Amino acid sequence: MDTLLQILVNGISVGAVYALFALGYTLVFSVLGVINFAHGALFTLGAYLTYLGVGGAVGSNGALAGWALPLALPFPVALLLAGAGCALANLLVEAIAFRPLRRRGAEPLLYLITSLGAGVVLVNLLQIAFGAEGYALPADALGDLPPVLSLAGARIRSVQLLLLLVCAVVMAVLTVWLERSRGGRALQAVSEDAVTARLLGIDSDAMVRLSFALSGLLAGLSGGLVGLSVSIAGPYFGIVYGLKGLGVLVLGGLGSVPGALLGGLVVGLAEAAVPGDLSGLKDAVAFAFLFAILLLRPQGLLGRPPISKV
Amino acid sequence: MPDGSLLVQMLIGALLGLSVYLPLAAGQLSLATPGFMTVGGYVAALLSTRVAALGGAEPLYPLPWLLLELVLAAVIALALALVVGLPVLRLRGIYLAIATIALNEILRVLLLNSSWTGGAVGIFAIPQPFGDPLGYLAALLLLLLLAGAACQVLAGHPLGRAMAAVRDDELAASCSGVDSFRVKLLAFGASAVLAALTGVLAAHFFNTWNARQGSFDASITTLAFVVFGGSRLWLGPVLGGLVLTALPELLRPVGDLRLVVFGAVILLGPLLFPQGVVTPALLQRLPLPAGWRRRLLP
Amino acid sequence: MPAVPPILPSVLRGGAVAAVVLALTAACSPAARRVSTPPLLGAAVALTGNASAIGQDQRIGLDLAAALLGPAGPGRPLPLTLAIEDAGTDEQSASQAFRTLIGRDVLAIIGPSLSQQAFAADPVADRAGVPVVGPSNTARGIPEIGPFVLRVSAPVSQVAPLSIARALRNDPALQRVAVFYAQDDAYSTSETAIFQKALTDRRLKPVSVQRHQFSDTDFQTQVTAVLPLNPQLVVISAGPVDGGNLVRQLRTLGYRGQIVAGNAMNSPNIFPICQRQCDGLLIAQAYSPALAGEANRRFVAAYRQKRGSDTPPQFTAQAYTAVQVVADALRRLDARRPVRGRPLAEVRRELNAEILAGRYDTPLGPIRFTPEGEVIQERFGVARVRMDADGRQGRFELLD
Repeated sequence: MDTLLQILVNGISVGAVYALFALGYTLVFSVLGVINFAHGALFTLGAYLTYLGVGGAVGSNGALAGWALPLALPFPVALLLAGAGCALANLLVEAIAFRPLRRRGAEPLLYLITSLGAGVVLVNLLQIAFGAEGYALPADALGDLPPVLSLAGARIRSVQLLLLLVCAVVMAVLTVWLERSRGGRALQAVSEDAVTARLLGIDSDAMVRLSFALSGLLAGLSGGLVGLSVSIAGPYFGIVYGLKGLGVLVLGGLGSVPGALLGGLVVGLAEAAVPGDLSGLKDAVAFAFLFAILLLRPQGLLGRPPISKV
Repeated sequence: MPDGSLLVQMLIGALLGLSVYLPLAAGQLSLATPGFMTVGGYVAALLSTRVAALGGAEPLYPLPWLLLELVLAAVIALALALVVGLPVLRLRGIYLAIATIALNEILRVLLLNSSWTGGAVGIFAIPQPFGDPLGYLAALLLLLLLAGAACQVLAGHPLGRAMAAVRDDELAASCSGVDSFRVKLLAFGASAVLAALTGVLAAHFFNTWNARQGSFDASITTLAFVVFGGSRLWLGPVLGGLVLTALPELLRPVGDLRLVVFGAVILLGPLLFPQGVVTPALLQRLPLPAGWRRRLLP
Repeated sequence: MPAVPPILPSVLRGGAVAAVVLALTAACSPAARRVSTPPLLGAAVALTGNASAIGQDQRIGLDLAAALLGPAGPGRPLPLTLAIEDAGTDEQSASQAFRTLIGRDVLAIIGPSLSQQAFAADPVADRAGVPVVGPSNTARGIPEIGPFVLRVSAPVSQVAPLSIARALRNDPALQRVAVFYAQDDAYSTSETAIFQKALTDRRLKPVSVQRHQFSDTDFQTQVTAVLPLNPQLVVISAGPVDGGNLVRQLRTLGYRGQIVAGNAMNSPNIFPICQRQCDGLLIAQAYSPALAGEANRRFVAAYRQKRGSDTPPQFTAQAYTAVQVVADALRRLDARRPVRGRPLAEVRRELNAEILAGRYDTPLGPIRFTPEGEVIQERFGVARVRMDADGRQGRFELLD
């Protein structure tokens, strides 16, 4: 049936964005057991960097008014560079907002607030630099790809399909890397037990930095892609995904990479399944679903149950 | 010198900080405070604007009706907290936090979609029980003093000690005969009541009330009050609420950099004061009368 | 020794502290403040938060007005200064910004940016007896807040139906209409009610009403739900960014019919969002850069000089107009009886009456006020958006 297929397509395409966002949270969570609230701001940064990379000029309201790079890079190159820039920025966030607390073995709650502070600073600096107006990446950034694909009557914008592909690839690469490679296993060892990992000769600091760099890279890539899909809605662009991303993260299971994808798709589908006349209740449905799952399965869909030690 | 109405907002912040602190003192990270505040605010807004018999032609909204709103809001919030707390408080740590955020979101969207709550516009022209901010200041100060006194009593009370035991190690507390679920539920209920009472006064003070009061941002901000001020003593969240509410206003002379500086303070606070600003060690150092110190420390 | 510490003394002591605080605050309250030299006007608009895209446009208009209308000049001997505060995007910040300005002894306040904020902040000024001129508050019920509350922004009820009428003139046979609106925004919900009433009055029942959040950007679900119903007209009430995105996704996913956009999308800020796909949008305007008249010519010229563009946004023009209205009225008042050094409360009261009584030649055209404070604006237009071939630049083409 047409509509059923369309709902599936809608749910998956919206869910992919949530999943990409939650994957960034997951990477840091799996190593440190804390949430990096600056992630949304990095997502925004990635979108703005991509915009600059493809040769976009700053609007008239920012401190950088009228400024543009002297060159216009192809979209994929600009996107990768934006990802790299966000990786660096996230390393900075780690150094300022996380490392001093980690040294002291502070409570996880503190990281929430320091990273929130870092996010507030970053978002407001972006507003000062770029102004509050929206920006859009050029519609022809994807070259000859048709803007809309039709699948047995269900319509999807090709950029959404691209987002879904990127999401699947990132998840596959991450899973394989975590399970198979030396670095990935070291990362997992640190997340299991930092002390033992150190005894095994693993540099846990390096592993934490690696997770932040990867998470930042992901934030940058997804920010640029989502910016291409729906335009950059101002400096608060990334923050609005923060709440859904958090929900998806917990729904899928904290620290679980496939869980983030599954969670994203579940929330996306739940939202898409809300009939048009009730579209105002969409967000409540997503969170009611999350709430129900939490009560039935507190560790999330793919998370491991917590161990209570006696 | 902050003006009267900024002091009112600071006191609202302090009360919300206490509301987040109470469950946290029993080890429960609940972010439902803005949700319960929203409920309290709607009780006040609906009663005072929709029930014609109340207030009516009087220039100032009668105080007895304000008291009625407070009682009603407290009862509704407590009932809601018990209903919601039964399933939710089985969750731990971040799962509880997310579940409470989910509840806030569900509440927000339902309120937004109901016609009797005024939808997105919310309810406006809420009558004033006080002629100027001083009345609100006195009412909120009284509420804060009562709440502080209650926290103070709690610190020496078996229930307070049970909360601390549950916070430090729930399993050990259960093993030594503490009904940990009851303790958590009580703390959650007290938090809800405090948030709802604050909401009643806030709705009158702000003249208008809508569903956005219970947003995710509000949850995180109130949490920041507690972390910034310190979660070990009840004075911590009070101080955090006062300071972090006043800061954006006091930073107005900074102009465009206002929120950048505000973010930097939130970032640096926990780095410089990992236990929050108000800690038992700080109280030991401060030149307080010995009696005060003894009473404030657990 | 009791297990419970004696609480009563602490409460009493706390009460004493409270009394001191109250006394201190009372001591600071204005007894008999006087009008400063030069007289100060205040403005509070959203410079941070989600609504800062609106506040940013308004700030340009305020700055232009301060530069153009502030200093003394030929025919206006009284110099004025303007203080601008950030009213944030929430109610609390707006109220506090208002109080900050009132504490600085302003004669009148221009602001806030959002209708929601107005419901919280305007009563603060009204109770203090300070005139408020809303530059962009279009929801129902704003002037009714109190005797000191006025607005220069025409309410949605006057503006919105015009574009529907225009769409029907373009296609009298159209039957199937789909409605979209941002459900968590006071302006959008007010406007969509007017739009939907205008449709019902013409016996057009929407085939679908889709709600979204102001901060949403992805409308795949809503758009694909509507397209199979084959709408011939889409009516949108939303902000510039969410609305722009919605238009773009409607067009990309294959909608070809007419689109009527609400008044908040009467802003060049939509051009970078929907680009080429903004083309053809029908928007009822409370301000058109193309409007004839000396006041608008001067305003557009000043805007061009400062920003290098000929199309000032509506929010900019309305903010400028708000300052002009206050400045004109104050100078009239001053000419009759100089205001400097007179008691603040008295001048504020007289200024309010003077603003209400006057007629103004502004960039919005000639305007005046009802006794309640509602703007009476003579000229509204419906514009069609025309985008350049590359989709970067566009303009609002005034239809007859």
